[in-house]
Amino acid sequence: MKFKSLVVFIMAVLWVSYSFAAGSIYSLRVDGLACPFCAYGIEKKLKRTEGVESVDIDLKNGLVVVRTTAGRVFTEDQLRQLVEDAGFSMKSMTEATR
Amino acid sequence: MIPVKRYRKVRQTICFRIYFSLVLILMVPSAQTAPITFNTALPVAKGEFLIRQQFISVQSGDDPGPTDRDRTAVTSTTALVYGVNHKLALFGILPYQDIELSLNPGTGKLSRTNSGLGDVKLFGRYIFKQNNQQGRTLRWAGFAGFKAPTGDEDARDSLGTLPPPVQTGTGSWDAFGGLVFTRQTLDWQLDAQLGYQTNTEANQYEAGDIFRFDASFQKRVWPRELSVGVPGFLYGVLEMNLIHQGKNKFNGVYDPHSNGTRLLLAPGIQYVTRRWIAEASLQLPIIQDLNGSALELGHILRAGMRFNF
Repeated sequence: MKFKSLVVFIMAVLWVSYSFAAGSIYSLRVDGLACPFCAYGIEKKLKRTEGVESVDIDLKNGLVVVRTTAGRVFTEDQLRQLVEDAGFSMKSMTEATR
Repeated sequence: MIPVKRYRKVRQTICFRIYFSLVLILMVPSAQTAPITFNTALPVAKGEFLIRQQFISVQSGDDPGPTDRDRTAVTSTTALVYGVNHKLALFGILPYQDIELSLNPGTGKLSRTNSGLGDVKLFGRYIFKQNNQQGRTLRWAGFAGFKAPTGDEDARDSLGTLPPPVQTGTGSWDAFGGLVFTRQTLDWQLDAQLGYQTNTEANQYEAGDIFRFDASFQKRVWPRELSVGVPGFLYGVLEMNLIHQGKNKFNGVYDPHSNGTRLLLAPGIQYVTRRWIAEASLQLPIIQDLNGSALELGHILRAGMRFNF
């Protein structure tokens, strides 16, 4: 059930991403996210960063998906710092180009 | 026939007892998700603001003394929180109070009222330990700050200067601090706080210092199964407040009929979304071990909203 939900969430994010111009998709595994109000703290922190087009959060799986505008690239350390500034811990990151 | 001067002194002493035994209960918690009646150790994002608006109705009665005292205070508190970084947050709390005190000293029922801005509280909270895992977090924080005498302490009505229980300010600078612990998971949350407030003298009066221990347990009751994304959470809340305040001093002499120890239990409800929280709780005294004829607390009703903007 958990795996199925995760797959559905990732597919939904990918489907939406095809309707946008080419950019990057960063999938972050974030630890410490445990309530909706806290989740918005990390969402607004990322959304206020230049080049971030959208942020989707899956609370249940601790997943934060960041889509960027074309040409905007983040390093792992930059994203880790943004997550830390919001009060959470980034465990891992994967990057894909769309 | 009671001499006017003595009557006024007795009335003022009674009012002192009522007022300062309730001041501690109006300590306002933070503007984050979590407990309704006290603070939490959850983070505020760096450079971001939160705001909380809470309405608190405090009713006291069942006077053990002969004057049939009854006090009602409705307070609207606005709390603004700013995240300096992911560990340090600054809090500013401004209350607006509407107070009514009625009593019958034997010469007929008296009612005295007042309203206005109260004393501002400013404090900082630092998270010194945290352990994050998927869908859960554990945090320890310390907090310290002060209460500034921004409220009116010498308001008057047609009978003269109002007694302290009907003033919106205390006139004193008081420091406070403590420790707070939070364990949060996707299904439940546990918070605990240990706090101390030292009160200083103003106008020959010094309220007793306050010690308190608070605990809160929140259980997500809806949705029962989490879906993907960020759904709203409905929490059932049960909180406990153990509050002890030492005796007040007037002109250097302890008042034997002031303050004491109270244990309050507060069932509540909280609906949490990404951008706002709505909550309400009813604090009821379970045990009141008070000094002399200090006034008993009836109940405290709280309702409020928090916004993440």
